[in-house]
Amino acid sequence: MLEGLVSPESLSLSYADMSVPERLKWLQQHQQQEVLSLSSNDSPDLLQILQFHGSNNDELLQSTFSHFQMVGSGFGTNYNMGFGHSHEAMDGYISRTSSCQIHSPDTMGVMLKNSEENRAISLKNKRKSEVKTREEEKTEKKIKVEAETESNISNKEASSDTSKETSKGASQIQKLDYIHVRARRGEATDRHSLAERARREKISKKMKYLQDLVPGCNTVTGKAGVLDEIINYVQSLQRQVEFLSMKLAVINPELELGVEDLSVKQFQAYFTNFPVVIASKPSVMVDVPLFPLDQQGSLNLSVSNPNQTSIDAPSESWETQSQSLFASVLR
Amino acid sequence: MQPTSSMKEEFLQKWQMGLQIYRPLIDNTSVSERRKAIKLSADVAMASLRRGTTCWSRALIQKTATEDNFLVRQMLSGIKAETLINKKLPKVMCHRKIVRRSKKILRRRKSRSAIEEVAAKARKLVKKKTQGLRNVVPGGEFMSNDVLLIQETLDYIVSLQTQVNVMRSIVDAAEAGSERTAYYLGKPKFAIEDG
Repeated sequence: MLEGLVSPESLSLSYADMSVPERLKWLQQHQQQEVLSLSSNDSPDLLQILQFHGSNNDELLQSTFSHFQMVGSGFGTNYNMGFGHSHEAMDGYISRTSSCQIHSPDTMGVMLKNSEENRAISLKNKRKSEVKTREEEKTEKKIKVEAETESNISNKEASSDTSKETSKGASQIQKLDYIHVRARRGEATDRHSLAERARREKISKKMKYLQDLVPGCNTVTGKAGVLDEIINYVQSLQRQVEFLSMKLAVINPELELGVEDLSVKQFQAYFTNFPVVIASKPSVMVDVPLFPLDQQGSLNLSVSNPNQTSIDAPSESWETQSQSLFASVLR
Repeated sequence: MQPTSSMKEEFLQKWQMGLQIYRPLIDNTSVSERRKAIKLSADVAMASLRRGTTCWSRALIQKTATEDNFLVRQMLSGIKAETLINKKLPKVMCHRKIVRRSKKILRRRKSRSAIEEVAAKARKLVKKKTQGLRNVVPGGEFMSNDVLLIQETLDYIVSLQTQVNVMRSIVDAAEAGSERTAYYLGKPKFAIEDG
């Protein structure tokens, strides 16, 4: 991958100048490289960015690679890039850089010089952070780790204190939950937009649940339509409650639901058989499935005052149900 | 998530308890009084199913407490009734009209590309709908973010479905019972006519 990178043409071009297919090709190469790379996930993004950055500056490249080298050689206390990882990870970085070395000997030979790069690095670190936020590529971000690395990169005076902090922070990170957000191509990668996108995805997931719950919502697309349907549904449910309570008040003047404790279980059987509420007009008259009349004895429903209740029953349903009642009673 | 039978059973029991409180109290001959009693006790029963965990249930209880404090106290006697009733409603009630007007003033110099205008209109429409949803769901005005609003709506819809299912079953049972009694009343007449 580095041959493509470090070759003079690509270096002379800035990132913006590269056309889309070139970028794609680079990304592909890049991903192939990633497969071969380390197990630890936190740093490859950083590495990628550092290795392929937007500036034409090959000094920057060299300095970053030499930085990694120096990290390996024990310079790491001063320029802890905020990884705060165990040494295996560090060695991994080194191996990566060393593998890079194999590919392009011409520039890497320059990098073996450690001396004058040290001072340049602190300045370059700052630029790295700016460059990173401008990047338009796929990044996998762990929000907590990201904050750590950014803050540490922009630290000019990277002293041993920061290394201690980051090691503490690393142990904290391991305990916290990560919010894995993948920035899509062509979208900004700063914290705020990523957090916003996570929030939006949460909302759309919940709206999907709502769509399953509310009947008739599957046909509508778009948030506004679904919300409209939900509002209508909730309003119709509330209206149904009002209507049913009015009806119950009419039918049942003593407010006696009349269900003894023993018969509650039998009621449950009815509940499970009754159809789920439909968002239609609240006409309950015709839909009534008749009770299995063998269990009549347990339904003591306002039979105490038969004189009052019978008059109120509307006549239409009486017609539809009278015959079946008649038939079953005669059994 | 559909209403489960255990939820329905619990709702029924609580509702009955509420109605029992009402029975000696109200004027039994007025239909509107009875309707109000039924509806309020049903609402409190539905809200108490959630035991104060959801925002809409607390708002609903507070709303019915303004209409009938005594009922709510009696019904929720075991479950932190005092705290639920007396808790101050959260002060997130922002005056949206004022906020909107000030935003409009600040927004004078925005770009006017076609795509952005369409997107802005869509966003406005969605905002209007969410505001409508806030009006419908009890306590909606106090839910500051959309995620919470949608969660509450989900829970509220399930509870409403439970309530409607149970009430409908009771009404049907009552109806069938009353028709049976009407039939029984009518039967001797038939017998006499036949005989």
